[in-house]
Amino acid sequence: MGEMEQLRKEAESLKDEITAARKAVQDLTLQDHVAGTAVVGRVQLKTRKTLRGHLSKIYAVHWGDSKLCVSASQDGKLIVWDSYTTNKVHAIPLKSSWVMTCSYAPSGNMVACGGLDNMCSIYNLKGKDGNVKVMRELAAHTGYLSCCRFLNDNEIITSSGDCTCVLWDIETGSQKTVFAGHLGDCMSLGVAPDFNTFISGACDFTAKLWDIRDGQCRQTFGGHESDINAIGFFPNGNAVITGSDDASCKLYDLRSDQELITYQDSGIMCGVTSLAPSLSGRLILAGYDDFNCNIWDSLKAERVGVLSGHDNRVSCIGVTPDGMACCTGSWDSFLKIWN
Amino acid sequence: MVFQMDELDETQLKNHVDSLKQQLQFNREKTSVAIPELAKWIEEKMNEDPFLNPDVLKDNPWVESSKCVII
Repeated sequence: MGEMEQLRKEAESLKDEITAARKAVQDLTLQDHVAGTAVVGRVQLKTRKTLRGHLSKIYAVHWGDSKLCVSASQDGKLIVWDSYTTNKVHAIPLKSSWVMTCSYAPSGNMVACGGLDNMCSIYNLKGKDGNVKVMRELAAHTGYLSCCRFLNDNEIITSSGDCTCVLWDIETGSQKTVFAGHLGDCMSLGVAPDFNTFISGACDFTAKLWDIRDGQCRQTFGGHESDINAIGFFPNGNAVITGSDDASCKLYDLRSDQELITYQDSGIMCGVTSLAPSLSGRLILAGYDDFNCNIWDSLKAERVGVLSGHDNRVSCIGVTPDGMACCTGSWDSFLKIWN
Repeated sequence: MVFQMDELDETQLKNHVDSLKQQLQFNREKTSVAIPELAKWIEEKMNEDPFLNPDVLKDNPWVESSKCVII
């Protein structure tokens, strides 16, 4: 048997062993555990604000704190909004209008974005003369930038269509760690609440959990039947939620290393574009290609609400750190604040 | 791009196998422990969840708290 054939057989055998190891610890299902729990009552969130100003499709939105958020549109602008007043705090023109992602640093000092230019551009919001300028252009990916998330003012993680994720040192502009292993475009990433690990969702239909410091993939979650477009940590850091082109969302438990439940409905036939959990994690808000956002009871896997109001695909969604509101962004060029 | 298993070269395949060996070693918790603890965490937090407890949203920063007056 050739070396390659042997390796392929070994890979298949290891995958079977992992499946068996997962089954061996499955002595309770989520459905059985919550059989006696009632579904939460109907959740009706209202549009409180509409943020108007972008001239084209919005691709990403990210909250900086519970008031300010940054959005990215293919009109070639990043806009930082004061969501309470709907005022634009900054309107940043981009070198490349083909932007796919944006991120707000936890400190509030910077924002980042990237897209078909294959780069992650870092902007300093607190420059001495008050102008917002490009601080660094992180270039090394050989594919589009699908997502980026700051760890702190000097480190950012990016995911790319080149199938890798990268941890960057912003000061030097260098790659500290390359996270390789996905067999398809990486579409989305999420950082754990304790900043020790991150998760990535890809076009190989899997989600991977990575150790930020040693660069290793700790866990891989399958089950989806198409690209994973959206991924997020559960608020307590012990579970992961994914959203896919297969029209479903899934909940994976990290401690038992397996899928707990799928959020799907025969009436939903379009892809999930974005998702965010509510503060307690009991609700999962998911944006879909059909212009709506569905609200799921995460324990009972039933739809308990819908956010309708956009005139085109909901491309991005985010819940404020304090859980008080969520923001949806759409291809209709508007952002809406709901609670 | 998406790779099929038979498109990987020897180095990539070796890395893939090494990664699987590492992932197999993960110390898995029983679901009879992990699930109840997850559900308990959620249920305890629900009271603070603004989307589930209307009292938390009493002071809603996105809603005008005072009425407009025509002068």
